[in-house]
Amino acid sequence: MELTPDSTIVFEAWGIPVNATIVNTWIIMAVLTGISMLITRKLRPDVPPNRWRTMLEVIVQGIQSQIEEISRRPSRNLLYFVGTLFLFIATSNLMLVMPGFDPPTASLSTTAALAFSVLIAVPLFGMTSRGVGGYLKTYMQPSVIMLPFNIISEFSRGISLAIRLYGNIMSGAVIAAILLSVAPFFFPVVMDVLGLLTGLIQAYIFAILATVYISSATADPSTSKTEKKTQ
Amino acid sequence: MSIDWITIAAQLINFLVLVWLLKRFLYRPILSGIDARETEIAERMLEASRAREKAEAAETRYNDLAATFRTNEATLIDNQRQKAEAERDTLIAEARARLEQERKDWEAHLAQEKSKYIAHLHRSGAALLVSLTGKALHDLADETLEERVVTHVARQLKPMAADLRKAANAGTPAVVTTRYVLPDAARVKLVANMKGLIPGQKLQFETDPAQSAGLVLRMGAVHVAWTVDSYIEELDTMLEERLVQDPIVKVDSDGH
Repeated sequence: MELTPDSTIVFEAWGIPVNATIVNTWIIMAVLTGISMLITRKLRPDVPPNRWRTMLEVIVQGIQSQIEEISRRPSRNLLYFVGTLFLFIATSNLMLVMPGFDPPTASLSTTAALAFSVLIAVPLFGMTSRGVGGYLKTYMQPSVIMLPFNIISEFSRGISLAIRLYGNIMSGAVIAAILLSVAPFFFPVVMDVLGLLTGLIQAYIFAILATVYISSATADPSTSKTEKKTQ
Repeated sequence: MSIDWITIAAQLINFLVLVWLLKRFLYRPILSGIDARETEIAERMLEASRAREKAEAAETRYNDLAATFRTNEATLIDNQRQKAEAERDTLIAEARARLEQERKDWEAHLAQEKSKYIAHLHRSGAALLVSLTGKALHDLADETLEERVVTHVARQLKPMAADLRKAANAGTPAVVTTRYVLPDAARVKLVANMKGLIPGQKLQFETDPAQSAGLVLRMGAVHVAWTVDSYIEELDTMLEERLVQDPIVKVDSDGH
C-alpha cells in the first residue's frame, strides 16, 4: 500500500521522473483553468450574468469576504494567492471521490510546497506592507532576544500547515483504502463522503491560516501611515 | 512518508502558474465584471437620486404654485366676476340702446303712418264733404256748390272794391285757382260779379291739384278764398280727440 502518489512515476522527461502528484496537479490546474475560461470567455459588463458566472461570482466573493473579515489589509494580491490555495486544495480534495485519482494534497511534497509558498508569501506581503526594515523589525519584537524564537515560530507555522493538510488528506485516503479492503461495499462510501467534508474543511482551514499568517505580517492601515510619516 | 524535493519544486512552480492562470482567467474577469456592475448600479443609484431630487423640487414647485393659486383664487374669481358683470352691463346697455332706437324708429314710423292716415282722412274727408255739400245743395236748392262758392266769394269782394281797383290800376292780373276745372256757369257768374266791381277786368282761371276744394282769388294784395280747409281742420281736430280718447287704429307688428 502506497501512502503517497509521489512514488508513482507516470513518465520521465529529460531524465526527470514525473510522478502522479505532478500529473494530477496538472489535471486539477487544467480543470480549474478550463472551467474559468469557459465561463468568463464571453464576459461583458452589459450582459446579465448567467448561472455559471453567478456561481463563480459567489465563490470569488465568498473568498473575498472571508479575507476581508480576517485581514486588516485586504488586497487583490492576497485574494489571488489565498483564493488559489483554497480552490486548488478544495478541488484536489473533492477529486478524492474519483476512482483511481490520487489527490495531490495526499502528497506531503504538495502540502510542503503549499506551506513553503505560504512561508515565502508571508515575508513578501509583510515587506510590501511595512517595508523591508519595518518587516524585519517585527522579528525583534518585543525585544532582540525574541529573534530566534520568532524565526522558529515562522518556520514551525509552515511545517504545521504542511503536516496538518497532508495528515488529514492522506489519512482519509488511507482509511478509505483500508475500509475498502475490509468492507468493500458500504464503509468506503461513507468514508468518502466524510472525506469530502473534511477535504473542504481542510481547504478552508489552510486558506484561513494562510490569511491569518499573512495578515499578521502586514501592518494595519493606521500603523503603516504612522510609519510612513515617521520615515 | 517522504519528501521529494523535485516534486516540491514542481508543485511550487505549478502553484504559482495556477495563481497566474486563475488571476488571468478567473479573478480579474469576475472582479472586473462585479466592479463594472457595482459602478453601473452606483451610477443608476446616483441618477435615481438626482431624479428623485428633481421630482421633489418639482413637487415643491407645484405645491408652491398650488398654494399661490389657492391664495389668489378669491382675487382671481372676483376679478373675473367683475369683468363678467361689466361685460353683462355693457351688453344690457347695448341691448337697451338698440331697443330704444327701435322703439324710436317704430314711434317715428307710427307717427309717419299716423300723419299719412290723417292726410288721407283729410283728403277723403274734404272730397266727401265737398261731394255731400254739393249734393245737398243740388237736392235742396237746385244749385251747385261751385255757384254758391262763387256767390260767397263775390260777397266778400264787395268790401274790397277799393283794393281791387288799385290792383287793377297797377295792372295786376286777377287769378282764380280751383282744384278742379270750374264749371262755365260759375265762371260766367264770377266774371259778371267782377265786372260789376271793376269793369273790364278779366279773370284768369287756373287749376291746382294740390289746393283744397274751393276757390281762391288773388289780385295783388287782395286775397279772397273759400276752401274746405277750415272745415277739414275742425274734422281733424275732432278725429284726433277721438283717437286720443278711443284709439281705434290698430297697429300690426310691422307698425302699419
